Amino acid sequence: MARWALISGLRGDLEVYEAIQEELRQTRRVDTLFVLGDVIGPARNCDALLSRLQQPRRGELQPQCLFGWWEDQLLAERGYRGGRRADALRLSQGETAVDALLQAVDPGHMGWLAELQFGFIELDCALLHASSATVEDSLGPDSSPLLLLDRLTRMEVNRLFTARSGQQFSIELTGGGIESQVRDLEGQRHQQQSVPKRQVIGIGAGVNYTIYDPGTDRFDFLTAGSRSQERARGFA
Amino acid sequence: MAHAVISCLHANHAALEAVLADIDQQGIDTITCLGDLVGYGPQPNEVVELIRQRAIPTCQGCWDEDIIEGLNACDCSYPSQLAERRGHLAHQWTAEQLSEENKAFLASLPMSLRRDRLLFVHGSPNSQHEYLLPNMDAFAALERVETAGADTLFCGHTHHPYVRELRDGSIRVRVQEGVASGGPSVEREINLPVRRIINAGSVGEPRHGNTNATYVVHDEATDSVEIREVTYDVERTCRAIVESGLPAIFAWRLRHGFEYAERADDASHVCER
Amino acid sequence: MSQTLLISGPPGCGKTSWILNRLQNHRGPCGYLRLAGYPDEGLAQAPDGGIDLAYLQDQCPRLLDLTDLDQALAPRPEHLLALIELPQFQSPAESGLGGVDRRVIPQLEALHLRPDEHLHFGRDTALPRQDTLDFSSLQAWQRNLAGSVWDPASLSSFWFELVNGAYGDVYRAKALMNLPDGRAFFCNWMVSQEGSQFLPLQTIAPPDCRPERLSRLVVQGKDLDPGAIERTLADCLLSEALPHPSPAA
Ligand SMILES: [Zn+2]
Ligand SMILES: [Zn+2]
Repeated sequence: MARWALISGLRGDLEVYEAIQEELRQTRRVDTLFVLGDVIGPARNCDALLSRLQQPRRGELQPQCLFGWWEDQLLAERGYRGGRRADALRLSQGETAVDALLQAVDPGHMGWLAELQFGFIELDCALLHASSATVEDSLGPDSSPLLLLDRLTRMEVNRLFTARSGQQFSIELTGGGIESQVRDLEGQRHQQQSVPKRQVIGIGAGVNYTIYDPGTDRFDFLTAGSRSQERARGFA
Repeated sequence: MAHAVISCLHANHAALEAVLADIDQQGIDTITCLGDLVGYGPQPNEVVELIRQRAIPTCQGCWDEDIIEGLNACDCSYPSQLAERRGHLAHQWTAEQLSEENKAFLASLPMSLRRDRLLFVHGSPNSQHEYLLPNMDAFAALERVETAGADTLFCGHTHHPYVRELRDGSIRVRVQEGVASGGPSVEREINLPVRRIINAGSVGEPRHGNTNATYVVHDEATDSVEIREVTYDVERTCRAIVESGLPAIFAWRLRHGFEYAERADDASHVCER
Repeated sequence: MSQTLLISGPPGCGKTSWILNRLQNHRGPCGYLRLAGYPDEGLAQAPDGGIDLAYLQDQCPRLLDLTDLDQALAPRPEHLLALIELPQFQSPAESGLGGVDRRVIPQLEALHLRPDEHLHFGRDTALPRQDTLDFSSLQAWQRNLAGSVWDPASLSSFWFELVNGAYGDVYRAKALMNLPDGRAFFCNWMVSQEGSQFLPLQTIAPPDCRPERLSRLVVQGKDLDPGAIERTLADCLLSEALPHPSPAA
């Protein structure tokens, strides 16, 4: 059965991308590579990585890319988001970060970046940079379970793969419920609702990535270039 | 102290007058309005001016926002081409009728109003365009109130008045962090707080089966909520619709208790734009 | 043995449904003809514009069109069941064949048709009993919709408004309407029966194109507001996003 590799947060680092591709080719029986955004960032020039994502080398997996928070900021600043600019970046890291981001990406890549999607739905899984709410929504192991459940409900999926926090984690909803009472002009109704069995999976960022096997619902958190730890990491 | 909450006036002057009279007659002097002062109905200026004259604290509705900023409702909020064309026609007519002063008033309205742990919004704390329907997923409904930091959320926009209490909620989770962060799997359970959503219905465009205007009265002393139905002179508004040059079908729909333009099935849908 | 039947009755009495039933239960060849009828005083006969024939032909693919002169002159197949539909408000003065409206005889003779039997809704017990309506003054309005395609959700809103009186007191509405997925529906409503029929045709056109088959709306009632119907139609019919421009209707 085909397995997926999920990566994110490369921020222009072609070396890390090549290392992951190499690892996937050698050992992992992976047939689909999802890149959940943040392929660019202000810290280095991103053109080489962007070119490679658009033209994979022979033997490499063809990446399926989404836009992430950094792409969204760049697209906004370059006028691809209506009247909105890179205000979130400007507010949090200042004008120099905005300039650095503009410098890091050749305008020739803008067309490709503008075509990237917000999310993929595969089987009963949603693959998103952040969440269905916004591209900024950072879900992590400490996020409120109520918030996570809301994000899962919005997508109507059983599993949500997210990357925005950069952390590798899994949160399974295992039980619970809620009572609801509605009164309107027709009368009163009670409703008991159980927590559905659903899961949010943080895939990591940069060298930290995730392999998922939809056939067995098993996933592994991995770190590129540290093969010795492999066995200890897997859990279902 | 009892206070009244009204919403979705939709330029229906006769309905607003009847509701205000009903509130006055109970001796209630605190009124909050959840927006949609205009849209579809024939008296946008009269309704805005009455709200201003009575100095009723008001938050901005989806129509109030769209009239100022151009159409914001995405096409997907209309279930049919017919509903969309009628919506656009009503929008254009209203934008032409409204005085600059009244437009400026609508533009000045806040997204939400807060009094202690009571929060007042038009649609949901996230958006003026989001519908909180009475049968919406209970956890998602609770999330809206909880994330906004309120005990009771007053909303409108659905034109369907209701009181919903969410209680005895809990969620159990198993959390596992990657080796990169270290740590084994941990089970935990959180208990969810009791929260309430009160939808004020609609003064000017009922969608609950008959033609009566609806609003709610909340008595803070007893924490009880009453959904009030008020009859008004529907024919007066229907005549004004026809005289103003709005489509006669609007009058027919209002007279029969149907909304002017139908809503999308997936009412929780919020456009990604 | 062949049989030629003349069926008459007021609008909305269920002639076409009864005829379809007869056609589907007849093992041999079948033919069909719909006569226009005559406007009696103050009562407009709704021109049907071929809706009934198109619907029956869709349901019974080998149905012979008895208006076809070539077929009229050709030798009739054996065991032919020929059904002739005649809209007629008033009950005939005489029973049996003697009650046939004299005005239709020349037309039938030109097509070599001679009824063996005449049944009138409301008079003959062989036909189902229907509530007889008071057609004291009836208007008819129709619109050719050839080449038009409906937004499906708008169609259901419009039909709801139409039959609930938003455009006047409607006694009868029937139509053949095209949808973007290539399906067409026979929509049928009469005041004497609860609810509307929406029956899909067997024939499917290629999706996302402008079907060339017959499409038409016929409304009968009082105080109809054709201008308002037209305005709503304009908001319901799809204009763009279809590859072929609409042919002149
Ligand atoms: Zn409203
Ligand atoms: Zn609204």
